[in-house]
Amino acid sequence: MAQTIRVVVNGRTVERSVPERMLLVDFIRDELGLTGTHQGCTYEGVCGACTVHLNGEAVKSCMMLAVQADGEEITTIEGLARDGALHPVQKAFNEHHALQCGYCTSGMIMNAVDFLRTTPAPTEAEIRHALIGNICRCTGYQNIVAAVAAAAAAMRARAAE
Amino acid sequence: MYPRPIGEYHRPASLHEALQLAGSGRGGAIYIAGGMSLMQALKSRVAEAERLIDLNHIAELRGIAEEDGGLTIGAMTRHRDLAAQAGRLGAYEAIADAAAHVGDRQVRNRGTIGGSLSWNYVAACLPTVALGCGAVVRSVGTSGERVETPIDAFQKGALTTALEEGEIVTAIHFPRAPAGAGSAYRKWGIVHDALPVIGVCVHVQTADGRITGGRFAVTGLADGPARSARAEAQMAQGFAATDAAAISACAAAAAEELSPPGDAWVSADYKKELIAQLGREMLALAAARATGG
Ligand SMILES: Cc1cc2nc3c(=O)[nH]c(=O)nc-3n(C[C@H](O)[C@H](O)[C@H](O)COP(=O)(O)OP(=O)(O)OC[C@H]3O[C@@H](n4cnc5c(N)ncnc54)[C@H](O)[C@@H]3O)c2cc1C
Ligand code: FES
Ligand code: FES
Repeated sequence: MAQTIRVVVNGRTVERSVPERMLLVDFIRDELGLTGTHQGCTYEGVCGACTVHLNGEAVKSCMMLAVQADGEEITTIEGLARDGALHPVQKAFNEHHALQCGYCTSGMIMNAVDFLRTTPAPTEAEIRHALIGNICRCTGYQNIVAAVAAAAAAMRARAAE
Repeated sequence: MYPRPIGEYHRPASLHEALQLAGSGRGGAIYIAGGMSLMQALKSRVAEAERLIDLNHIAELRGIAEEDGGLTIGAMTRHRDLAAQAGRLGAYEAIADAAAHVGDRQVRNRGTIGGSLSWNYVAACLPTVALGCGAVVRSVGTSGERVETPIDAFQKGALTTALEEGEIVTAIHFPRAPAGAGSAYRKWGIVHDALPVIGVCVHVQTADGRITGGRFAVTGLADGPARSARAEAQMAQGFAATDAAAISACAAAAAEELSPPGDAWVSADYKKELIAQLGREMLALAAARATGG
């Protein structure tokens, strides 16, 4: 009824005994105290608030069990900044007012970071298509799309340096 | 919020090991693939897992390979990887059409073609493409016996398939198509990339610019995906691949024949209109792809 798992979370290996039925999102929030990952819908897996990276890819952490992450690498919103400097997507969300209440924000950013890794120069249509899995109840999406586009440009500029 | 307690979680590294775990005679074993349908069922306690067997670490279940001029797709191949094949699937472009719009990025990063076919939800994209394209489902039972099941026999109605307890889908095979074949899939949902209210997959055979036969499959019906015999009869009779009137008549025949259920959001008549419209578009697109147009 419980299993010991070792997961690399934001670069640090953690070892815990968890019940098999524990959702990955509950492991992240309740066991590790990383409450930047939010929980919006939980049952259906449609809101995207719980998005984290599993081995670098955006996944909904309410749609996996914690035991499935054994031996894998998880990155949460808390693990994006490098040496105290925000990730370019985080910076762009701040600069473009891409959030109001902030509930959707960590999921949006985690999805966008994975998206820009695979699509460094997206069109606006591609950005909108990429964000379908993340619901925002506040912003109307305009500024989120603008922030992702700005982050893409900033990351391309940095890569070209 | 939790699922009911799960007795055991196993992570086999081979098909053989997975089958041994499932076939140990103790019952209560459930496979998990992408989890994009199963986790909903576990969390809402519609399903219960005494023993959960995770297929995500079995390398032999993944990948896309050419085989005898056809296409073989491992059951654990994810929607994302199928979508990435757009433009390279020849007669089976419908697979990428469908995979590219399943749910959202996060769902496509996890969900698999094998899971989608095994779940056989009444409104789902890949099962409809498999039916429309005449796929063959390869599976292996706990006795180790390998089985090939034509998709028409594999799908047994809403959420039901020919799979027996413990049987694992290993791959979906799309047989070699003769020259001049093409396919297309599109759905209409309440919101962008949502589950289809109606989805249509058409696979056509052409010769000298004429449609000479094909398959016409629809999702969004009460009993899971179904083919339209009337539309297929018109395709078998043949018409020019660019004949807009014949294409419309063919799709209209499918709309007349099939009976989608009305619901709180979309009436039955509107769904019939969707079959006619999507049918027209997909027939035209499949024909254009088949004739290189
Ligand atoms: C937000 C959201 C949106 C979605 N939108 C769409 C959509 O637009 N179109 C669409 O078609 N689908 C949609 N889906 C469902 C999605 O396609 C799932 O990927 C699919 O239905 C199940 O595949 P899976 O790999 O996740 O299987 P799982 O959920 O892991 O498994 C489903 C079932 O199949 C069984 N199973 C899985 N693999 C095998 C195998 N190899 N052999 C035998 N049994 C097996 C499992 O035991 C389980 O009973 C959506 C899902 C979500 C959460
Ligand atoms: S909480 Fe996971 S998708 Fe909504
Ligand atoms: S900022 Fe409030 S939900 Fe998006």
